[in-house]
Amino acid sequence: MRLLLLVLFLAGFGFGEVLISKRIEGEIPLDPFSEVWKKAKAITVPLAGQTVTKPMVIEAPVKEITVRSLNNGKEIAFLLVWRDQTEDRFHLINQFSDAVAVQIPYRPSTDYPITMGGKGKRVLILHWTAFRQENIENGYSDVAKIHPDYAYDWYPHAKPPYRYPEDWANQYALAYIGGEKVFRKNTFRTPVREVVAEGFGSSTWKDVQTAEGKGVYRDGKWYVVIKRRFVVENSSNPEWGPGKATYITFAVWDGSSGHRGARKVLSYQWIKLKIER
Amino acid sequence: MPKFYNWQIKREVPYPYEHRRPKRQFAVVMDLNKCIACQTCTVACKTTWTPGRGQEYQLWNNVETKPNGFYPLGWDVKLMELLGEDQRWEGERYVGKTVLDGTDKETVIGWMPDDLDWTNPNIGEDEVNKPVEVGTVLESLPHPIWMFYLPRICNHCTYPACVAACPRQAIYKRQEDGIVLIDPERCEGYQECVKACPYKKSMFNYVARISQKCIGCFPRVEQGLQPQCVITCIGKIRLMGFINPPEKARRDNPIDFLVHIKKVALPLYPQTGLEPNVYYIPPINVPLDFLRQMFGPGADHAVRTYMAMREGKEPELQALLHLFGSTDRIVHSFVVGANEVIGLDEKGEEIVRVPLYEPFQVRPHKDERLGVVRQDIP
Repeated sequence: MRLLLLVLFLAGFGFGEVLISKRIEGEIPLDPFSEVWKKAKAITVPLAGQTVTKPMVIEAPVKEITVRSLNNGKEIAFLLVWRDQTEDRFHLINQFSDAVAVQIPYRPSTDYPITMGGKGKRVLILHWTAFRQENIENGYSDVAKIHPDYAYDWYPHAKPPYRYPEDWANQYALAYIGGEKVFRKNTFRTPVREVVAEGFGSSTWKDVQTAEGKGVYRDGKWYVVIKRRFVVENSSNPEWGPGKATYITFAVWDGSSGHRGARKVLSYQWIKLKIER
Repeated sequence: MPKFYNWQIKREVPYPYEHRRPKRQFAVVMDLNKCIACQTCTVACKTTWTPGRGQEYQLWNNVETKPNGFYPLGWDVKLMELLGEDQRWEGERYVGKTVLDGTDKETVIGWMPDDLDWTNPNIGEDEVNKPVEVGTVLESLPHPIWMFYLPRICNHCTYPACVAACPRQAIYKRQEDGIVLIDPERCEGYQECVKACPYKKSMFNYVARISQKCIGCFPRVEQGLQPQCVITCIGKIRLMGFINPPEKARRDNPIDFLVHIKKVALPLYPQTGLEPNVYYIPPINVPLDFLRQMFGPGADHAVRTYMAMREGKEPELQALLHLFGSTDRIVHSFVVGANEVIGLDEKGEEIVRVPLYEPFQVRPHKDERLGVVRQDIP
């Protein structure tokens, strides 16, 4: 079975259906329940556990994802919907967050390894996480929020009332919590991070973070919108845009199944993404 | 997967990365016969490195009571369960399962502690192995009723499970001193290292969303100084230095002398296969079957040697123990004189000279010259 899967990625097997990014005029809404999304045709993509590299996921708690796409000539957006019995909005000790990601090769080709690209075959990954959505909507998941009755007396270098991130933004206090770069990652006002990768284990945050998004959990399903400009200045961009075609794949993390990092379910085939002019 | 030789269990272990032994390997020896669980080391570490947000229950250095204390809860009991009943030694060679054997889904055999498992660092403190009956007298070694204190830091293993398990290669072992560090900028908080480390010395900070661990006080080590937990130990039970593999052991290197020459200091749960680099002088009051499980088959020899030292039959070893806690600098070699032990730095220059016996005088009770009776005043 594993060998068969391996052969499938190496062959860059194409998925039958095509995802068409519908051209609309004006702003693309971040609201996943906006009427505009009805203009786009949905496709449903099967997902399977990550069994290429350790640690692996054999059982797939999420079996499929429904995808729509819109573009307005400058930006492209995806509406991703999947069934998940549990809403996992936190990333804590032995507790993981739900998440979804789309992956686009830098060049429109199916000979990119589906496993986050490969050496010289860079992919762009737009990764929405529920815990970032939670931080934005309900305040940072700090000690006081996670353990409201927690007693502490004093922290050196930080100012009372010791709210993270507000009271920790100085170089002395930051040293205890991983430094400035970690702090910056934790304080982006968007639930979608942009990373590039050249093979699994290599994903790296882009310096310029512009992707936006919003996720809503309703009736046992996540509805997530991910949006990015085709061309972000002062940053690298895939070869994509109105009138062009490229490829796309998807990955879903189910927090309550212990999913994080390599522990995820994904679509094992490149899906053609036609972007309407 | 490539295999590498682990001298502690005298066999090869599988490891996912090409491996070279570092130029030098950080190592600490701790004499468990002397630890009183005052937690000065814990506090020294805490105030130096982990007073931050999300680090409230992070103790990179902790001291727990054995057999009933754990941080996190049940860590070594879980480890024993994972390795199963098949933890067999053939002489000094371990033939059972190691955590590096992995599973078909994971690189390292591990388990994930829960949030609450970290919140009772002093559980079981001072508890003995079984109820004490009225009239019990402890008059022989080992004791029928026993406990001891186990101070723990990161073992800066030669084959670290955390490095093997991290899918992002965010953890690395430094070539210059063998210290194992997590790169906070690469870490995404997947906690694979927390799950993999059998000693549970990698901890997740849910506020910063990164895993953090003992850094071996590397800024001190780089300056030739021993770590905070070592130099603050009021019982003087610790000595930090650099260990060589057994075939390159130097008799004048204090760590090599204790581990390789005298074989009095032993690794903690060597059956993990990781070649941990904190070495313990086992407590002589504890029954040997427990010590063998915890420190391997060398426990008998270590206890015998320590007992002999107490009887004055190991003068060199006894002298070396005087260097513990006597200097904040890293001792690279030592020399034993007639009534002193001398610690030397990397260049062979003297750092510290410690007398083995303090000079003392016996004064008569009655001072005939002054015609007075002395009180007990120096």
